[in-house]
Amino acid sequence: MKESYGVRLPGLNLDDLVGKLIVLEGTDGVGRSTQIRLLKEWLEQQGHAVLDTGLTRSGLVGKGIKRAKEGHTLGRITLSLFYATDFADRLENEIVPALRAGFVVLTDRYIYSLMARSMVRGLDPMWVRNIHRFAPKPDAIFYLRIGVDELIPRAVFTRGFDYWESGMDLYSAEDMYDSFRKYQTALLDQFDRLAEEFHFNVIDARPEPRVIFEQLKAGIDRILMPPTGRPTLTAPEEEPEPAVEEMALEEASEERRRRA
Amino acid sequence: MKRYGEHRIPGRLFVVEGIDGSGKSTQLMLLHQWLKAEGYGVVFSEWNSSPLVKDTTKRGKKKQLLTPATFSLIHATDFADRTERNIIPLLKAGAVVLCDRYIYTAFARDASRGMDPEWIRELYGFAVKPTVAFYFRVPLETAMKRISDARAGFKFYEAGMDLGLSDDPDESFRLFQGRILEEYEKMIPEFSLTVIDATLPIETQQQEMRLMVLAKLTQAKQLRVAP
Repeated sequence: MKESYGVRLPGLNLDDLVGKLIVLEGTDGVGRSTQIRLLKEWLEQQGHAVLDTGLTRSGLVGKGIKRAKEGHTLGRITLSLFYATDFADRLENEIVPALRAGFVVLTDRYIYSLMARSMVRGLDPMWVRNIHRFAPKPDAIFYLRIGVDELIPRAVFTRGFDYWESGMDLYSAEDMYDSFRKYQTALLDQFDRLAEEFHFNVIDARPEPRVIFEQLKAGIDRILMPPTGRPTLTAPEEEPEPAVEEMALEEASEERRRRA
Repeated sequence: MKRYGEHRIPGRLFVVEGIDGSGKSTQLMLLHQWLKAEGYGVVFSEWNSSPLVKDTTKRGKKKQLLTPATFSLIHATDFADRTERNIIPLLKAGAVVLCDRYIYTAFARDASRGMDPEWIRELYGFAVKPTVAFYFRVPLETAMKRISDARAGFKFYEAGMDLGLSDDPDESFRLFQGRILEEYEKMIPEFSLTVIDATLPIETQQQEMRLMVLAKLTQAKQLRVAP
């Protein structure tokens, strides 16, 4: 059962969604993808089916955005709408079907990153909020928070400065370092505001990944119901009834044995 | 970010609206020829023509990947690109800009596809308010006759085939365009659209249009003159 932020899309029913929608937010280079990888493995080990997804991966628009960004020629309103189109496509074709099928959907960024980027570029906050109002409200939003001083060494010593992550479209007169600093400071400021408004679960992203992972696990455990028939370490007092699916599986394998 | 009605620019923006087969493109072409002959710096901008976004839209339409939501958003993206890179700079430079279809096309189509009307209006909140928005009003049957005389068959999205109204393209077109007409009628008072009777002779309609455009041009002091 999910609801949107106020706008319903035709043909997109959110009432029968049984899966969980978990969002990881945070600025560039904060370690989101590492955590997504760890969480996916952990959740699967627990018996949950997981869909991991992120921004600009949709079949419809993903390539178009990438190409357009290579030429650096998109205006700020256009870029916001291009991303919103991409998000809608992923929502309808990936996220909602997976939630309907009972998956845990782990998403690397969500509408909040899109909103923060647009607002840093000076777009009207009301307009920016409105265009994303069709998004389903997540079950949990984890925000990996870091200060710009801790962020800079990560950028310098891992992948260098990226044109867009440095906001060079905004501060083209500056060098990449100054621009990165200004842009990320403004972005973090927007994230802090959104964190309050949308009730983010704020996690300090400075410690090493294992520590962050433990906090995320604890947070996710709270929102996931334990799956039925989950094996426990302590022996159950009575033999539990086998689940229907298990019985069907046993019957099927017996059937195969008889045929062989 | 300036909103609808907030832009203060020396140029003039004239747009034409109406269903397919209303004759609006013909009228705009005639207006264009006249303005050029009069020496105005005049630029024509077509719906759904941004080079950056066009490929995506084309692919989506060809493969029928578009839902009402992505149809709406990709057209808004296209329009934003044209607005930011074309329409606004040209109007600032004092040009006369002519648009074949404008935001009202999106409002009519998207509402007919079940999108929230308030949401769409806000989505296009960055658009420049036209100097005059002409609406070419025509009965559905006349429009259908004109189209079927001119070409064979309707396109998938044009006929609203994505909505599953009917398996027959002709019937689907009729139902879908009927909905669009209703939406246009509602917008006439909402956006003060200037109604032109599109069943009148072409010359009569053009005369009416030129008179109204001329009135708006003589008020403008610094319109760019074509080199």
